[in-house]
Amino acid sequence: MSELFNPILLYGGCALGALGLALALPRRGVSPQLVGALIAAIGLGGIFLALGVRAKAAELPNFLFYIFALIALGGALRVISHPRPVYAALYFILTILASSGMYLLLSAEFMAFALIIVYAGAILITYLFVIMLATEAPTAEEVHVLRDYDRYSREPIAATVVGFVLVALLATLLGRGAAALPAPERFGDAPLLAAVPGRVERALREAEAIAPGESIVVDEAGVARIDVEARTAVVTGGEGGETRVVELPADLALANTEGVAFELIAAHPGAIEIAGVILLMAMLGAVVLSRKRVELDEQARAAAPGAGAGARP
Amino acid sequence: MTELSMLAQADFPAVMPQVTLYHYLLVSAVMFVLGVVGFVTRRNLIIMFLCTELMFQAAGLALIGFSRFHLNYTGQAFVIFVLTIAAAEAAMALALVVLLFRRKETLDASTWSELKG
Amino acid sequence: MVEVLGQIGAAMGLGVTALADAPPAAGAAATAVGQAPSALALPIVFLPLLGVILVGLCAAMRVRSKLPAWITVACLGAAFAFTLALYQKTGGGAEPGVAHAWDWINFRWGKSTAQSLVANFSFYIDSLTLLWMLFVTGLATLIALYASEYMAHDVGPGFNRFYAAFGLFVFSMACLVMGDNLLLLYLGWEGVGLCSYLLIGYFYKKPSAVAAAKKAFIMNRIGDLGLALGIMLTFVQFGTLEYAKLWPMIQPYAEAALSGRLSEVPVLVQLIPVLFTVGAFGKSAQIPLYVWLPDAMEGPTPVSALIHAATMVTAGVYLVARFLPLYQASEWALPIVAWVGTLTALLAATIGMAQFDIKRIMAYSTVSQLGYMFAGLGVVSLAATEAPAGAVFHVFTHAFFKATLFLCCGAVMHGFAGQLDLRRLSGVAWMKGWGIVGVAMLIGCLNLAGFPFTAGYFSKDMILAEAFTNPATSAIGWVLLLTAGLTAYYTFRVFFRVFVGPKEYHPGDEHHGHAGDHDHGHGHGHETGPEELDAEEAALAEESHGGEFHPHAPGWAINLVLAVLAVASIVAAVAYPTHWVADLAHNASTYYGLSAVHAADAAHHGEAAGHAAHGAVLGFNPHEVMYYISAAVGAIGIGIAYLLHLKGRRTAETAAADKLLPMLGPIPRWAQNKWYVDEFYNAVVRLPLLAISHIFRWIDALLVDGLVNLFGYLPRGTGGVLRPTQSGVLHDYALKMAAGVGIVLAVAAAAMGGAL
Repeated sequence: MSELFNPILLYGGCALGALGLALALPRRGVSPQLVGALIAAIGLGGIFLALGVRAKAAELPNFLFYIFALIALGGALRVISHPRPVYAALYFILTILASSGMYLLLSAEFMAFALIIVYAGAILITYLFVIMLATEAPTAEEVHVLRDYDRYSREPIAATVVGFVLVALLATLLGRGAAALPAPERFGDAPLLAAVPGRVERALREAEAIAPGESIVVDEAGVARIDVEARTAVVTGGEGGETRVVELPADLALANTEGVAFELIAAHPGAIEIAGVILLMAMLGAVVLSRKRVELDEQARAAAPGAGAGARP
Repeated sequence: MTELSMLAQADFPAVMPQVTLYHYLLVSAVMFVLGVVGFVTRRNLIIMFLCTELMFQAAGLALIGFSRFHLNYTGQAFVIFVLTIAAAEAAMALALVVLLFRRKETLDASTWSELKG
Repeated sequence: MVEVLGQIGAAMGLGVTALADAPPAAGAAATAVGQAPSALALPIVFLPLLGVILVGLCAAMRVRSKLPAWITVACLGAAFAFTLALYQKTGGGAEPGVAHAWDWINFRWGKSTAQSLVANFSFYIDSLTLLWMLFVTGLATLIALYASEYMAHDVGPGFNRFYAAFGLFVFSMACLVMGDNLLLLYLGWEGVGLCSYLLIGYFYKKPSAVAAAKKAFIMNRIGDLGLALGIMLTFVQFGTLEYAKLWPMIQPYAEAALSGRLSEVPVLVQLIPVLFTVGAFGKSAQIPLYVWLPDAMEGPTPVSALIHAATMVTAGVYLVARFLPLYQASEWALPIVAWVGTLTALLAATIGMAQFDIKRIMAYSTVSQLGYMFAGLGVVSLAATEAPAGAVFHVFTHAFFKATLFLCCGAVMHGFAGQLDLRRLSGVAWMKGWGIVGVAMLIGCLNLAGFPFTAGYFSKDMILAEAFTNPATSAIGWVLLLTAGLTAYYTFRVFFRVFVGPKEYHPGDEHHGHAGDHDHGHGHGHETGPEELDAEEAALAEESHGGEFHPHAPGWAINLVLAVLAVASIVAAVAYPTHWVADLAHNASTYYGLSAVHAADAAHHGEAAGHAAHGAVLGFNPHEVMYYISAAVGAIGIGIAYLLHLKGRRTAETAAADKLLPMLGPIPRWAQNKWYVDEFYNAVVRLPLLAISHIFRWIDALLVDGLVNLFGYLPRGTGGVLRPTQSGVLHDYALKMAAGVGIVLAVAAAAMGGAL
């Protein structure tokens, strides 16, 4: 990993980040959250800088990555440091969006939008509902007062130290691992092109490489005669039966969605079924739990203001 | 569509340099640790669960990064399942949080200390 | 009679061997020990034990009569009869014999006889043994009879307890005296110590009695340590503990020492008798281990009479007498014995002079007389005589007259509700029913004081003569002479104060519940004749105590025993002219072989040299002159006592001696306080031990307990330290989990090594 960057800089950056984090966490009195955020950002930036110094320009990620990373991490920091729960949830949505952007940069378009739809659109909405549901009703004069447990964080120092240690270790190990990973073979999903002859035909037609009446030859076994290695396809005319070899367009590639689809359904069909069952169980469980009648705890009953306390359905 | 693919360095997706992978992994690690710190620090039950979701996020990012690096779709399929599980877990956790809230009228996690030794 | 008894013995199933006479010893120097008639010897030992068992049965069956007394008297009487028979059968123990009861310790670890430890329940019968057993069993029988009346108020569990311990005592004493090996002697030694403890502490509800019992036992144990070491050393040196095998081994050493070749005797062999002496001093109450004997008077009077006057305390004397050749082989042993005995005699006499409790006075006189006996043993030497005849004779006579004296004091105590202070009693002999007591007391006192022609006179005389005969021990002789004078004085002080003179009595505070109101008027103090006793007595009773208390004259049992003892004391005097005891002492087998040496030596040195080696007293031959000198000293003592304590005495409380006291300053008070020896022991021995025990207790509580408690605290402490980690709060657990993950990663990172 030392070819990646100087480890001392890594740890220094981590330390700065930890410091910033510690400052940013909510605490008694005035919390210098902005300052903390800045320091954390400087730490992070320092790390990226250090990374960038040693690497060649072509190896660095797209500049959009830096933007998305900063937004994502900034949002995550606000999630954990914002005293109000609703704001935390909203910042989380921001983090999700930035993550989604990073997924796009990683050629995972399907996942990017799946993330937004499922996570931001479903899970976080649920969270927001529950936050609304489970917030203690503020009294008339205390509308804007934060609860105690929201205002103060527990043992920020210890947590930050542990966090620092963890991040340093993770970064180190990941660095070692990343440096040691073997480069993959050139490609993956090209053979799958042979599985989508219709798509290939459409692309050929759009590229006007074949006449409208021509189609790709499918041999006796039902396999389309598309040669992925040579990037050619054997097409045949309508009546004559004569075949000719056509070049596939250069930009013909499997779309991400198709790749994921093939992966999921062809390689992991059982997991899909199980996932479905899990979701069913979760739903049932939620229903069962929500129907449970709960008696109010004695202490809470004693603390609760007079009338209005009692078992709630 | 293809323009976006251009963005992703296709004509066929090229091999990702290791440094780039490391960037994504670093971001994932930092986000994960942020989630841990948040879980350990915040006392609001709901925020604590939100931090676990943050950890899921980080894991997903790392998976997608590796998927891109290895030029196959296994990571992405896995992230789908992670999403599924996260959803199921969120549902259950929130149902439980509601129950706990009804029990003690507060979301403070430190009030639940019956396991005190 | 012997045959009848023998058949009884055989019928009792004791002893297996035939009733044959012991085979005569072959050769003058041989000490071949043959068989003693077991059928006669074993019952002597085991009849008292049988008595104990029967009394135990009585106790178990909760007998409430005097049956235990009669059982014990019967058994002891039978034992005495067997002793007489044995004496007759063996011709006075002319030849020693061994009577074997059963094998006890027969431990061999090798082929040769040297690699063995043999100590069986066998009994060694020779003249010394017989002499001892005669007066032990005789006195035991008489005193058991006496106690049947004396302890009558305690009939019930106390009675049973008393007689059980009594019988056990006699059994132990028999083992001690008759045992044929040192281990059986030690068994008896310990046994008598135990019974002494049991009997002194008979009134176990009385704290002073309990303390006295403990004191006696502990001081005895100190002596027993010396004895035990001596026995062990004997075994190491000679390889055996049996007398029959020891005598031939000791003989050469004794001969060497007596012939002047002391360097040939190994130091360890010379040490053995010194160790034995320590034991003897403990048991026989000599300096420094004598302080228990006066306190032992807390026990009932029969106990004092039997154990602490006649039998147990003579065990030490027996030990020294038995092993005398070994003592003669040692350079220091006999001088130690002689000088300590002498000093003890003097010391005890001075203390006795200043006491007011008559039993205490008798106790100190016992200590003093034991000192005499040890001195008598110690002055034995080649030139004077071969055997300690004087000491042995004194043991014999002292047993009788001291028992008489104690029993008379007991009668007084019994009759006057526990009153023993000689300032509160007077003229007892003149009271009705107390005649026999008075006569017996007089006879006993005459013996003790050494009045001419009494047994005590002869025995004391023998010792004095022996002391003066050896020029080296003349000093001992003078001290003993002085002590004789003191003895006469204090003995007759008691007699003149308590038994004669104006009649007056103040009862003690036992049995009648009176809280010690003693100063009710005085008697009239005129010497009245016995014929006016009745009227006098009534008036006396009225005056002394408002008529509520009547002295309880002794009953038939006490009177009978006292009469028998008094007569025996007189008869014992006959033993002197007949040389009976001296012959017995000489015949004691230990001196076999030595007589040959003596004869040779005398022949070698010639008669004139033999005479020249004799010491002289005032220029005369001691053997001729001693009679007159000791008689004169005794008369002087009695005369002084008369002048100070009887002449012109009007009341019980005061006498002419009181006018003398201020002239002597603090000395009488010191003497009365026993020269503060007890306090000295307390300061020097007991208090340091107490301090040490406190220290050890402190160490035990802190160190030992502390260590153990520490082990107990460790888990608890660890738990207490670790418990806060279980805070019950979710965040803490999560934090620790995260930290754990970090540690795991760190370990993994370190394990994987590689470029950082």
